[in-house]
Amino acid sequence: MLRRILRPATSASGEVQGGMVWWLLAVAAALMLLVGWLLPWFLEPVSGGVGFSPQDVVVSSPTGIGTILVYVLGVTMLILVLSPIAELAFRFRKGTLGPRWDRVRFAAAGTGLLLTVLVWLLVRIIQEEPLFGPVDSHTITNSAVWLTMYGYGVAAVVYGAREWVLMHPNLTFGASALPFGALLPVMFHQAPDFVLWGAQDLAIYVLLALGLNVVVGFAGLLDLGYAAFFAIGAYMCASLASPAHHLHLPLWALLFIGAMVAALFGAVLGAPTLRLRGDYLAIVTLGFGEIIPDLATNDVGGFTGGPNGISAIDQPQLGPINFGTNPQWFYWSLLIVVILVIILLRNVEHSRMGRAWVALREDEVAAAATGINTTSTKLLAFAIGASVSGFAGAFYGSMLTAITPEAFLFQVSVTVLSIIVLGGIGNIIGVIVGSFVLTFVIYWVLQNLNEWSVTLGHTINLPALSNVNFTQYTYMIYGVALVVMMLFRPGGLLPSRARRVELETGIESESLAAVQGKA
Amino acid sequence: MNDEAGAGAPGGGGPAAGSLLQSTRALLVAPAGLVPRVRRPTGAGRAIPVLRGMYRWASGNFPAILLLVIALTVIGVFLQGQGHDQGLTLMGLQLRNALVLGAIYALVAIGYTMVYGIIELINFAHGDVFTASGFYAILIATLFGLNGLAAGGPGGLVLALLILFPVVMLMSGLTGMIIERVAYRRLRSSPRLAPLITAIGVSFFLEGFMLTRAGPDNVPTGRSAWITTHAFTFGGVSVSWKDIFVVAVALGLMFALGAFIRGTRLGKAMRSTAQDRDAALLCGININRTISVTFFIGSALAAAAAIVYTINLEFIQWNLGYRLGIIAFTAAVLGGIGNIVGAGLGGFLIGAIYVFGGQLVGGEWSEALIFAVLVIILTFRPVGLLGVEVTTRA
Repeated sequence: MLRRILRPATSASGEVQGGMVWWLLAVAAALMLLVGWLLPWFLEPVSGGVGFSPQDVVVSSPTGIGTILVYVLGVTMLILVLSPIAELAFRFRKGTLGPRWDRVRFAAAGTGLLLTVLVWLLVRIIQEEPLFGPVDSHTITNSAVWLTMYGYGVAAVVYGAREWVLMHPNLTFGASALPFGALLPVMFHQAPDFVLWGAQDLAIYVLLALGLNVVVGFAGLLDLGYAAFFAIGAYMCASLASPAHHLHLPLWALLFIGAMVAALFGAVLGAPTLRLRGDYLAIVTLGFGEIIPDLATNDVGGFTGGPNGISAIDQPQLGPINFGTNPQWFYWSLLIVVILVIILLRNVEHSRMGRAWVALREDEVAAAATGINTTSTKLLAFAIGASVSGFAGAFYGSMLTAITPEAFLFQVSVTVLSIIVLGGIGNIIGVIVGSFVLTFVIYWVLQNLNEWSVTLGHTINLPALSNVNFTQYTYMIYGVALVVMMLFRPGGLLPSRARRVELETGIESESLAAVQGKA
Repeated sequence: MNDEAGAGAPGGGGPAAGSLLQSTRALLVAPAGLVPRVRRPTGAGRAIPVLRGMYRWASGNFPAILLLVIALTVIGVFLQGQGHDQGLTLMGLQLRNALVLGAIYALVAIGYTMVYGIIELINFAHGDVFTASGFYAILIATLFGLNGLAAGGPGGLVLALLILFPVVMLMSGLTGMIIERVAYRRLRSSPRLAPLITAIGVSFFLEGFMLTRAGPDNVPTGRSAWITTHAFTFGGVSVSWKDIFVVAVALGLMFALGAFIRGTRLGKAMRSTAQDRDAALLCGININRTISVTFFIGSALAAAAAIVYTINLEFIQWNLGYRLGIIAFTAAVLGGIGNIVGAGLGGFLIGAIYVFGGQLVGGEWSEALIFAVLVIILTFRPVGLLGVEVTTRA
């Protein structure tokens, strides 16, 4: 019954009605976002603040333009959420565009609602406590308003342009995620902790997950020692740009050297394991992933600095900007790297090599029979995956300025694996969503939950709450995520196309079944 | 039940019938799916014929080379000790350590090999079941006051052991069965990587659970004082009853397991399920029960290993099982995975490599050495020492 009510109204020809209205709303929302962003540049900032966030608009504009803006966006959101009922009032059950349409609508409304709830939480509950680092409540409201506006905007655009969205899901995702990604350091400009999370955890894990996705998702080779390449990149960069060996090579070159060395190791590791099948390959890579931190711990050849690692690694310098001063520079450069990597990997995925990977993943014998050189195909998958990891490692080392072997243990490999399993193996967008969700939970929520629970326990007089250490649940979260995803949604949050087709059409062919766990 | 009918690629069953090797060596049949020695060389082998020849030679003579390397290592240890005029003592001392360690590895390795033999899954969580059993043992010992009982004399010690072993093995066995039921059974007909990822998930869940319950620090077992008496000294090597007990428990359980698999109906069911699950189903064997029993036995043996570990050593910690699990898995692979006798042998060999290799190049390298051995075995001889080479489709 509920489904019928929520079903969209369409005309007899199957065309969705009222698309125009939503387009207009979408454009209006986008405009408002833009105005909300640009307007304050022309207004006098108050109280010596940075002065170009919506909160400043609300406070500073004498006519209350900002307030009106926020309220109008709120109404837009309300309309979006209530729209199914509104449509129901006008046209009743005339056909449907199918379940995908529903999904788009729910995703759009859900994004807005979720962000609204988040904002409510941010502003109402934890206002007294520093949520985004040691800042005042003013900043919290800033970030909150930003998030809300962003959610409203995305929801409106997605909903308004739903037909176009259905045709171009990837472009939509890129267009809606990119502003958030690019503006994150600005939105949280007074919360360096959060920007640090964005650079150190989110961006690095997005890169790692993209790289592992090539090996596991595209080529179907389960790699459990992926952190090893991360370590190789980091140690490569660290030892050539730190006082440890009195070498200070330019970091921008080292990034690529790190990537190349990691790629070399990827191929070297790949070569002997070519004959091994799935789970055996996993174990060999696992062994490799254990050996590398052991080598680092035991200070092989006086190269790695032993258990203490290497410290005082150089920070990149770009013209007058020293990246060490603010993590936002790392964040932005990593963002550019991520975008480039995504474009590259997308092209590779749809190239001859990408198709060869898919063939290899589904049936190695058949692939070889059709003339695919399985050796070079597998080695290239390993090398490409490893090079992305090495690149991330080099960045990571210079960002932390100190690395120890503990940063590259099996847990890192499992984190990355969990990310791609959660997001959707083989799907680049799924992988990005997965990294966002998992790193946000593990490295932001859990870390801060300790602090919050102490406060909460203090407030409601429940000292037991103050003693809970939430970070120790990290392992259990990984475990549950992996098991639950594999059991109930093996395709991940956003399944790759092969998987989606199979789910929707109910095709259970042998080759598709073979892809199931791997695609 | 329908998942049985659609079980993806049972893997062509066992090796060629009538293979003398198989009937004498393998208790559980080495499953199909180990990649055979390919005729068509790949990688560097294709490019350079010399490398190809070397590879073939190394692969063919792998057992001999391995034994030679181990022998050389032992001699190296002897020479190292001889520098201090104590060559034989050092060697004997390390031999004792290797046997004790090997016994524990062997018991854990059997769990890996049984599960792999029957459902072709690398049960990643097995090492953590081992750790969990260690914590069970601590729990039971405190609950029943066994530590006081064991300190009260030989009779009390025997009684304490008689309580501890069955109870902990039962608990651990049930844990294994629950893990199989919850995490693996649904995925039995899925592609192979799906249950492997689930297994990693279960492993992390168990580790996380133990971390939250027991904390990140070493937990004293309180059982290292159970057996302290000294048995005999032979050539300067003092052997305590503790050491003898560990090896005896391991060997006893292994023989009992062998008898069980060879002699009972359930053992026969396990063998036939390992050989061809679909055919076994057609013969009226309850596959689910058989697999459950396999997990039960494997976990119970891990529990026995955990008990002797805690009697032998003073501390356990939450992530102990992770690396110990990989080492034991290496032992299972070395012996030929799916082969129970091989797992026992592999356990003792890995114990020897761990101890003697560690003595020779430094203890901090022991584990890296084992992982290198793992990579080398899987590269040159994935079927292991006693494994039967099987031709299968990819």
